[in-house]
Amino acid sequence: MAKATKTQTSRVKTSRPSAIRLAADIGGTFTDVAAFDEKTSRLLLGKSLSTPRNLVDGISSGVNKAGAAYSAASIFLHGSTIAINTMLERSGAKTALITTEGFRDVYEIGRINRPDAYNLYFKKHEPLVRRSLRFEVRERLTAEGDVHIPLDEASVHAVCDQLEPLGIEAVAIMFLHSYRNPAHEVRVKAIVQERFPHAFVSASHELSQEYREFERVSTVVSNAFIGPRVSRYVAGIDEHLKKENFTGSFLLVQSTGGLYESVQAREQCIRMLESGPAAGVIGAQALCRAIGLDDAIAFDMGGTTAKAGVIYKKEALTTGAAMIGGYEQGLPVQIPMIDIFEVGTGGGSIAWLGEGNALHVGPVSSGAEPGPACYGRGGEEPTVTDANLVLGRLDPARFLGGEMSLDVDAARRAIDAKIGKPLGLGTVEAAAGILRIAATTMSLAVRTVTTERGLDAAAFPLIAYGGAGPLHASAIAREIGTAQVIIPRAPGHFCAFGMLFADLRYDYVRTWPGRLANVDFSQMETIYAELIADGGAALERAGSGDLKRKITRWADMRYVGQEHAVTIELSESLFKKQDRGGIKQAFDAEHQLRYGTCAPNEPAEIVSLRATVTGLMKKPAMERIAKGSATPPKAASLGARMVSFDNRKAAMKTPIYIREELKGGNKITGPALIEEHASTTVVFPGDKLTVDAFGNLIIDIGRN
Amino acid sequence: MVARTKPVKKPARKSARPVAKKTAPVRKFAKADPVLTEIIRHGVLAVTEEMKNNLTRTAYNMIIYEALDFTVGLFTPEGDTISIGIGLPMFIRGMSETVRAKLKHFGADGIEEGDILITNDAYLTGSHLNHVTLSLPIFHQGKLSAFACCMAHWIDIGGTIGGITTDIYAEGLQIPIMKLRMAGVMNDDLVNIIRMNVRIPDRAMGDLRAQITAVTTGERRFKELLQRYGREETLTAISAIMDQSERAARARTRAIPDGEYEATSYMDDDGVDIGKRIPIKIKVIVSGEDMTIDLTEVAKQVRGFYNSGPTTGYACAQVAYKCLTSPTDYPINEGSFRSLKVKLSPGTIVSAIKPAAMRWWMTFPMTIVDTVFKAMETAMQDKVIAGHHADLIAVRVHGIHPKTGNLFIGGFGPLGGGWGAKLTEDGQSATVCLNDGDTHNSPIESVESKYPLIIDRFALREGSGGAGKFRGGLGIERKVSARAPLTFNAEVDRMHCTPWGLDGGKDGFGNNVTLHLNEGAKTDFPNAKIMMQRLRPGEGFTARSGGGGGFGSPLERDPARVIHDVAEGYVTADEACDIYGVALKADGSLDTAATQVLRSQKSRVRIAGE
Repeated sequence: MAKATKTQTSRVKTSRPSAIRLAADIGGTFTDVAAFDEKTSRLLLGKSLSTPRNLVDGISSGVNKAGAAYSAASIFLHGSTIAINTMLERSGAKTALITTEGFRDVYEIGRINRPDAYNLYFKKHEPLVRRSLRFEVRERLTAEGDVHIPLDEASVHAVCDQLEPLGIEAVAIMFLHSYRNPAHEVRVKAIVQERFPHAFVSASHELSQEYREFERVSTVVSNAFIGPRVSRYVAGIDEHLKKENFTGSFLLVQSTGGLYESVQAREQCIRMLESGPAAGVIGAQALCRAIGLDDAIAFDMGGTTAKAGVIYKKEALTTGAAMIGGYEQGLPVQIPMIDIFEVGTGGGSIAWLGEGNALHVGPVSSGAEPGPACYGRGGEEPTVTDANLVLGRLDPARFLGGEMSLDVDAARRAIDAKIGKPLGLGTVEAAAGILRIAATTMSLAVRTVTTERGLDAAAFPLIAYGGAGPLHASAIAREIGTAQVIIPRAPGHFCAFGMLFADLRYDYVRTWPGRLANVDFSQMETIYAELIADGGAALERAGSGDLKRKITRWADMRYVGQEHAVTIELSESLFKKQDRGGIKQAFDAEHQLRYGTCAPNEPAEIVSLRATVTGLMKKPAMERIAKGSATPPKAASLGARMVSFDNRKAAMKTPIYIREELKGGNKITGPALIEEHASTTVVFPGDKLTVDAFGNLIIDIGRN
Repeated sequence: MVARTKPVKKPARKSARPVAKKTAPVRKFAKADPVLTEIIRHGVLAVTEEMKNNLTRTAYNMIIYEALDFTVGLFTPEGDTISIGIGLPMFIRGMSETVRAKLKHFGADGIEEGDILITNDAYLTGSHLNHVTLSLPIFHQGKLSAFACCMAHWIDIGGTIGGITTDIYAEGLQIPIMKLRMAGVMNDDLVNIIRMNVRIPDRAMGDLRAQITAVTTGERRFKELLQRYGREETLTAISAIMDQSERAARARTRAIPDGEYEATSYMDDDGVDIGKRIPIKIKVIVSGEDMTIDLTEVAKQVRGFYNSGPTTGYACAQVAYKCLTSPTDYPINEGSFRSLKVKLSPGTIVSAIKPAAMRWWMTFPMTIVDTVFKAMETAMQDKVIAGHHADLIAVRVHGIHPKTGNLFIGGFGPLGGGWGAKLTEDGQSATVCLNDGDTHNSPIESVESKYPLIIDRFALREGSGGAGKFRGGLGIERKVSARAPLTFNAEVDRMHCTPWGLDGGKDGFGNNVTLHLNEGAKTDFPNAKIMMQRLRPGEGFTARSGGGGGFGSPLERDPARVIHDVAEGYVTADEACDIYGVALKADGSLDTAATQVLRSQKSRVRIAGE
């Protein structure tokens, strides 16, 4: 796994006195930069338009806007959509796959399912590597990892000969049962690298040592496919940073929310697939720690989608795999990620009438062009933003800090024509209905991430961010029955902010089936020790061997005969004591929590072992804002306007506040609107808002 | 082997969207709050999704957790479908009928809070005894407000193992409509009877627990909806959703030209009367906004275990109707089928009478549904699909596991195969047959770690897709070797009666099974039904699924597509030349001039032939 690039790595300097941490999150539309000055504890923010042709320019312009400089920074943290976009746009490298003889079609056959079961025009996933670029070599291992057919190296060379004239940029390697014995993959990778020194070569066991051949082949192919482009991108930033006299560490955010060093990111590109959304959840986790919360929902709503993640017992919940590009036609990626559930509801989501006049909202979005009707760019479809505007929740003159003005009449016309008239509803009634449906769909996303774990969403405070999150959070909280909503500072920059609180993190998993009752703990410890040693080595390679380490052991377990496993943490004490009974109890309890049932008398088995090695970074302290009294200062008041909250009641005169002017300890009773540059917080009648010492808006939801 | 389609009365136009020649519906629909209706629509879908998740993640047998051979759903107090979370599309009807039967059996007064009703009566569910159906009545403030139901496939329900059955009594334990739980108290006597009658009681009990989890999940979540929005409001919104579905189905039916449409196809045989083809003749009558699917002329019930009950006859018609009129509308509910009439006569292969054998109930109905599409070929060209491989090809092995000394029953899930082409698209390759939906195959790495088997090859079957302007999808072949002595069973049909093309498209390959014995490969079977074959270590079998039928003349296929298919190995160069009339140069690129000549020759031959 180690490449001869160690000299390129830079050390994470954890104790530089005048350190500035820079974090840049590249999204589809905007690049957000957060800079934290440890000396002054000040947080600087910059937002610039993303520059798809040369993403580095967008970062630099964001850094300038934040008033920071690369040369003063000790750490540069980065999350980017480049990996996911390369996959979704299918704009990756010309890739070949080498696999076990007889199995090159595993990747095309997939799992054969038809989720859209009555649709005769259904389509299955489309491989990233076409059939003529999928090659077989003679080798075979058994499920026990024993050699059934030895690796025929001549067949490997024969494949290389075929590859020679094809102009292949990347090669993925996946052999059956390589999770039990990677020897054949290791050897073939070495041969391919020798034959093609400039190709990006990736073997499945380096990314996933879990059984399930389709999911593993899809993972390694995805990594190879995006590899050349993503590693060039990372190298480009690296170079740019050097040119700007940056001498610190360049770290990237993985889908787990953990960081890894840029050299590692250039090999295991697939791990940064969901770096932006993951960073948001890590930000929510940091916020929880700062204000003393154990559990929360991280809720991110933008223009086209809403995403929800969960912080439970201080940790962000993760999952072992995800489908990239949706469930029906998506490509699976079997690596740990923060568990994020996404729905197609955002500010731009279009409200429409289906057959039988059924009212729907989303998932089609008006996008940036033509945008909602109120943008006045030719959009005629009513959207969630139009509904917010008509109800008075958005100010037509102060959208995006006044950079754009909104056309209320156009919004009203669109809602009347497309929804109100056909359904016999007034404008306000129709607009309120659109928002209620949007709130319901989003609340179901929040419920899905929690109920799948057996958790009760209503018991979790909702941390809402993203441009549109604060507009809808109170309504969603009402749908779920949540008591408290928290709007962090700078909700529109929250993902970049979150990166400042991430740790270096390496996740390993290895399928290792065995009954709990007769599991050999010393053998198990041998495997854990290997995984943990890999993590230690990765930290060393990142130049961060001196960081304080946290090691977590997990086991995927199930009752004998079941397929799906649940992951339980094996605490140090349970493990050291070889406490089978205690481990079984922990598993029974997790099963009971998730599914409402367990079988204490049934035997359990272990499927896979997981280890997470975390290099703990020094975290910045959260910035505190100036203290004030219970009454908001005069300077914070921006008058009032009429806002509709309930279609059965008249619009209410609603005071407006400027977020930046609010002081710690200020209290506001709803109805109220809190406006800031890229966001508006809606406080419903009956809600009680308090500004905390860090400038977060803590909203206690009224019971109405 | 497959008979041609003949619309009895030619539709007025070939287009599936003729000018509005029919009158608008006169039916009046209930008025409900449109916003609440949409909220409840999301709500009931979320409930059935969560039921589904909890079932699959707690189930013990592969058939439930990978093959998703189950269905969960919510039903009105009268037994109408509110929403079903589909594992098995063909089970679109089964649970609704079962709820109605249970209601009739106990009477509304005989059902109380805390009950769970159970049955596996094959003539009621329409399928086989392995399908155990639970129904939990949901009460709100003392009033029966809905049912949460779950049907799931148990890996074993007793009866003979392997081989063919010729009556229901050989197929295992029959559980009449009973209470598994009475007012919160489990019926342990019944549980003990079940335990004593099944081969792997721990697995059965695990699956039973998973099913209880599913229905109690449904109960908890549906009650939340009732509490939040009110019982009357929720039920009114549900009836509004059904009305919306009905209006949509009616509008789409109105767009189909009136007429009577017919088609016939055949099954290979019933596994008893080897080689005796089984005709499936169906008729579809479209009149205004109503459709009648007449199944009275499908074959009489057979001796082998391929029969199903009348519920499945209705299900065949409903599945076909949904695919044609509201394929992507959710939730699946009663309203979508109000404009559909189904004609069945007793004692056919899809309306079998006791004691007909039902164990392999799922094979024939798929071909019935495909035959409906075939009948509608000319009337709804842009909606129909050519024939598919139409069999689960769920071959299984059993034996004593050398590691544990215990009996194992091992499967791979369905094989998946080729699907038919459509008017504008190629057929999908390697996809599960119509009986199943979100069904997964079992990973090779999982199968090999559980059973003493090694899989030698798992690949697309080159050249198996039916040629056409749009090509049928490819089938799959899986070659397996035994690592311990075991017994092999295959119950596969549609080997001879191959998946048909439409509108001049060619047939795809049929399904088949080969044995690899120490004395050599054996392929000369009269059908693809191989029962109770003993295999020694090193011996094995290959199961192959058919390809889909093509759509339109192969001579009209874009040569670039043919070139691509040859390059990727989906179609052979010979086939490109002989059937598609596409000539390739030595480097695999298109020989335009030679192709023109070839195609004009072939089309002259074709015209002469007609």
